[in-house]
Amino acid sequence: MTAQTQNRRVARYGMSIDIDKCNGCGACMVACAVENNIPPAPEAANDRKGITWIRVYKVDNHLAYPERRTAFVPVLCQQCGHDTPCVHVCPQQAVDVDPATGIVGQMPERCLGCRYCMVACPYHARYFNWWDPAWPVGMEKTLNPDVAPRMRGVVEKCNFCHGRWHAAQQKAAAAGRREIDAADYVPACVEACPTGALRFGDLNDSSTEVAQDAQRPESFRLLEKIGTEPKIHYRSRRGWVREISSAPRPEGKDGLRG
Amino acid sequence: MTTTRRNLLKFVGGGAAGALLTPAPWRLITDTALWSENWPGIPRPARGEIRARFTHCTLCPAGCAVRARCVNGQPVSLAGVKPHPISHGALCPWGIAGHHLPYHPARVRQGPVKEALAAVARALSQRGAGERVAVLDLRPGRTVSWTYRRAMAAMDGGLYLTPHQPAYAIDLAAAQTVVSFGAPLFDGWGTPGNVFAARANFRLVQIEPVETRTAALADVWLPIRPGTETAMAAALAGEITIAETARATGVEEEAIGALKEAIAGGPAVVLAADSASPLMSLNGKLHALGHTVVARREAPVPEAWKKAAPATEVIAAPDRAIRVLLIDESLPGGYVRWQEIQPKLAANAVVVVFSSTSEGYARHAQYVLPAPVYPEAAEDVGLAIDTVAAVFRIAAPLVAPVVPVVNPGELVARIAGLPQADPLRERANAIYKAGRGTLLSYADGKSTPAKEVTADDFWKTLNQGGCWMDDSGKNAAPGKLEFRAAGEPPRDDLPLTVVVAEMRRDGLESPLMSKLERESNLRLSANRVAISPADAHANGIENGGRCVLETACGRLNVVATIDAGVPAGVVEISRGPRMADLCGASQRARVVRA
Repeated sequence: MTAQTQNRRVARYGMSIDIDKCNGCGACMVACAVENNIPPAPEAANDRKGITWIRVYKVDNHLAYPERRTAFVPVLCQQCGHDTPCVHVCPQQAVDVDPATGIVGQMPERCLGCRYCMVACPYHARYFNWWDPAWPVGMEKTLNPDVAPRMRGVVEKCNFCHGRWHAAQQKAAAAGRREIDAADYVPACVEACPTGALRFGDLNDSSTEVAQDAQRPESFRLLEKIGTEPKIHYRSRRGWVREISSAPRPEGKDGLRG
Repeated sequence: MTTTRRNLLKFVGGGAAGALLTPAPWRLITDTALWSENWPGIPRPARGEIRARFTHCTLCPAGCAVRARCVNGQPVSLAGVKPHPISHGALCPWGIAGHHLPYHPARVRQGPVKEALAAVARALSQRGAGERVAVLDLRPGRTVSWTYRRAMAAMDGGLYLTPHQPAYAIDLAAAQTVVSFGAPLFDGWGTPGNVFAARANFRLVQIEPVETRTAALADVWLPIRPGTETAMAAALAGEITIAETARATGVEEEAIGALKEAIAGGPAVVLAADSASPLMSLNGKLHALGHTVVARREAPVPEAWKKAAPATEVIAAPDRAIRVLLIDESLPGGYVRWQEIQPKLAANAVVVVFSSTSEGYARHAQYVLPAPVYPEAAEDVGLAIDTVAAVFRIAAPLVAPVVPVVNPGELVARIAGLPQADPLRERANAIYKAGRGTLLSYADGKSTPAKEVTADDFWKTLNQGGCWMDDSGKNAAPGKLEFRAAGEPPRDDLPLTVVVAEMRRDGLESPLMSKLERESNLRLSANRVAISPADAHANGIENGGRCVLETACGRLNVVATIDAGVPAGVVEISRGPRMADLCGASQRARVVRA
């Protein structure tokens, strides 16, 4: 920990996701791609080779129609707070956890493209650049200047829109403040969610909505039993939805889109 | 020492092993990563002054308020405007990526303007008695719609055609119970922000065969047997018994009884996927007219405009009478199936379409002229089905057209010989002169009575992405509601019922929509259908396999998705011009292996 972070209040940014409010519209996925300069899919891309830092999965209760019920679960990097698997396995030190924010960062310029981190990630939240990033002619003008496009052959993932955090830091510094205003740092997916299903904030600050959401009885985390202390807290009033984190994979492919 | 093969191999092997103990190979690995960083061809985002600009989205009639983050004037991201009283800061995925549309690789980039004008002039001069000239406006209610109406009034035999336009608006905030027959309330119906803002105050009962996004979030989803919605409506109207309804629809008696109690308990509204559906007539029986189903209110227009041609629904136009048809497809709107338009055309009709896509009417027109796309053109938006008060919003352009485009309103006015003018400015002046309503400015979040600003400031604010909203008056009952009869009876050779699962916008969509389709399978892409495992097995169709969707109107090659959430006897499709032409009126289909 640096002297700078020792003097500052340590944040632990996290998200709460109300699955009962998510309608699976995909606004978060598109907003994320716009914000983070993620290119459209090349011709050969599919659901395994595409890049979606946040991906909304359609899950169901495995019952037959008409008892079958579905829910939409946005899955992004869970920003593991303990024994972060991708950090441990990276041979290049291309992944780190920022002690000031708790955000798991990915440095593409260090990444070798070995994809150990993708294997290690229990949440399938890391994506490999199979192709050079390319946009239709003219569309490169719409790229966000705060985020550098990544090159072919490296892994990337959600970093809670780190560019926005930097911008909020600069704004606070310009105003002579040491701490950022919470309203200045909101990831693109949270800003875009039309239903208000996504909330973001500092889990260390008990006054934030996200910290309070994390304490609710209907709150749960994905694969909590493996002890990675994810910072994404889901919640649902439906019991079968809360059980999805430990549910077995469906047999066969009939239950899966694609 | 003699050099033997063994010694040479030992030297090479030892050298290689020794090199691993030096930093060189490890450094090379790192350098490999560094080299990859400098591969040519990776675009560099432009840098420059960052400013926020405001406009309104025109991709659907909701007209959500938009804050654009611009770098050197170029929009790089779009977000909603939280203080907006209707859209409440929400944007749909299409709206979020709307700034990509000018650069879409499939955009119509050029068109034979002179040839089209010559062909129109020739056809107009040669047309016989009773032959008409018509404009088909897919997004009625805009200022340019009034230009079309005035142009058609000025021309001999002019017809102003529209898709079915509901004469009512839905006041969701006044409803306690919403009974939806397949209306995609949470997925493209009305204004997203308005629907979600009202959501906490109404109970939603979704009646449809498949569990769509709306059904998944409804308070109650009643999985009804496909094609039996009229029986359910009859039960709610008290025309048949609950037991009879349960037998016909497959819905449990208790659920139907509970629904009847709910709609009797307070203000309710019935919605249908198609605004022309006879199911909407149930609102009259539930005494919803004037309460939750109210008359549409339109912003004032100049007095001189009122001598305009009336709106005629395409289906009501005379058969084989239209010699010249001009179609404004510049904004996505209510797509009218080509099978409905074609019988209205004279034998040697000239069809000109203003469009940015070759997917829609461009497939049928002789002349396709490139139209501006959002956010290139200054235009107003029209009214969404859930917009109760009159509003006037200008979509201020954020970029200059990137290809040579034709302004449909100006061209139609030119053909009709209307004097050159700025209709948006005239309309804004008429609204200002009415002296009522409020002007909202998004840049500073101010809300000012219109009569307290000058006419110039009024116009300036509107052009900077402001919005005029009429005073909230008393809701009135809509005029006579007109509906269409149900589709054709089932055919034995077409065993599947078509259900629209994806309410895609017609027209261009950002290439980033691949995130929702190919890259995640969250949404059905335009060429995909979803069927049940049982139907797939019966027809020998594999997941991801190529197959043919066949209806009474034709055939289309598609890719099959097998989904256990789809009931047997149903095929889910994604709406779009091709699917609308194929399945629009025909609710029955079959899917066979290609």
